[in-house]
Amino acid sequence: MNDILLEVKDLHASVMEREILRGINLTVRRGEVHAIMGPNGAGKSTLSGVLAGKPGYTVTGGDALFDGESLLTLTPEERSWRGVFLGFQYPTEIPGVSNTQMLKSAVAAHRRAQNLPELSSKEFIKLMDSKLTLVKMDRSFLSRGVNVGFSGGEKKRNEIFQMAMLSPQLAILDETDSGLDVDALRIVGEGVNSLRSHDNVFIVITHYQRLLDYIVPDVIHVLYNGQIILTGDRSLALEIEARGYDWIINQHNGK
Amino acid sequence: MANREVILLRGDELRTLEITVGAGQARELVFVALPGESGVIDCSVSVSFSGEGGDCVLSGLYLAGGSSRVNFTVNVEHGVPRCSSSQLFKGIVAGRARTGFFGLIRVPEHCIGTEAYQQNHNLLLGDDCHAQSLPQLEIYADDVRCSHGATFGRLGDEELFYMRSRGIPEFEARRLQMTAFASEVLEGLPEDIVCQALEALESLL
Repeated sequence: MNDILLEVKDLHASVMEREILRGINLTVRRGEVHAIMGPNGAGKSTLSGVLAGKPGYTVTGGDALFDGESLLTLTPEERSWRGVFLGFQYPTEIPGVSNTQMLKSAVAAHRRAQNLPELSSKEFIKLMDSKLTLVKMDRSFLSRGVNVGFSGGEKKRNEIFQMAMLSPQLAILDETDSGLDVDALRIVGEGVNSLRSHDNVFIVITHYQRLLDYIVPDVIHVLYNGQIILTGDRSLALEIEARGYDWIINQHNGK
Repeated sequence: MANREVILLRGDELRTLEITVGAGQARELVFVALPGESGVIDCSVSVSFSGEGGDCVLSGLYLAGGSSRVNFTVNVEHGVPRCSSSQLFKGIVAGRARTGFFGLIRVPEHCIGTEAYQQNHNLLLGDDCHAQSLPQLEIYADDVRCSHGATFGRLGDEELFYMRSRGIPEFEARRLQMTAFASEVLEGLPEDIVCQALEALESLL
């Protein structure tokens, strides 16, 4: 087992011929929580999309190694089986497919990939019940279409619920705090904290430092114009909260 | 609850149905068209009413792949006031298949209080298939409630990526979405027909 779970090396990626990521370097060790902050358009969502294998991005250079293996040639489902999870900024609604149906397929595929026997219905329901408690969601969520008619807060809690069901090694949470009120923020934070271990890794992408009150990061990176221009500890988030990004950008531009 | 009749069309079928709905009567018909690889299904349904208060609910699912052909022609003649009808036809079209839905609702001048709805939705898989839809309303009466609509869509990329990012293999994510599309018509049908439909659906993947 590698101590380094994720190593992103000089990663370049573009969308429709426009370069968005311009050489990202990032090393994340097991047990760490990293926060990626940055102004709009910096490339935060592109980075999470590229790591999860979202179609529409072209990687033009560099690599992303997960436990020593390149992620970039793997399909999204293969990445999921290896232990990568993306919490969506805007979780997709899937009418007609229930939460239970989707998770049943997902858990079954994960277990197949790990050569584990299929869970019995009873075991599966028990697993769902235990994870629902984490995010304080009601059982009635399970039979509804995936995210259909969910409020913003419910959608984000559903992301954390799915994450808990799949127990990933690397969870990338893309602006999970956007659209959340304080109560939902606390529930999401507590959900994440209860899943933290010395083996797994969280990358929390956020605009604001308020989520970081609940999920305390070890390392904070500032992403700007497709590059990480500053890395610091938790105090950096507080400074950004107080002073914005301009001073960092100016420093980077040598002004 | 209307007495529901399920009409399964498999392989090559040429079917003509004439339905007369009596006063205060309710009829419900569900069509499931499974032409297989190269079948040709042509189904014409004519509905008329012989007394007020009649209600006719038609729904249908066609799963056409390979080089198959499916045509549904539905004529609903609202010749009596205060009757209602609805049509919901859904199709998944793949391969080089061709499908057509031709629906006509006619409401003559004196037939007030008519309610008539018509929906046709198509899910197209691939670039070589072809689905045609011609929903028509001919309304000469005031004080009626009628609507019609047709859509053509593809499997959503966003939905597919969302499910794949949870570890669901692509073919299964597609199957889940297709089943969700078909379930509106299949819900509540006898198990053996649902099984045959799901088998046909799987063959379109």
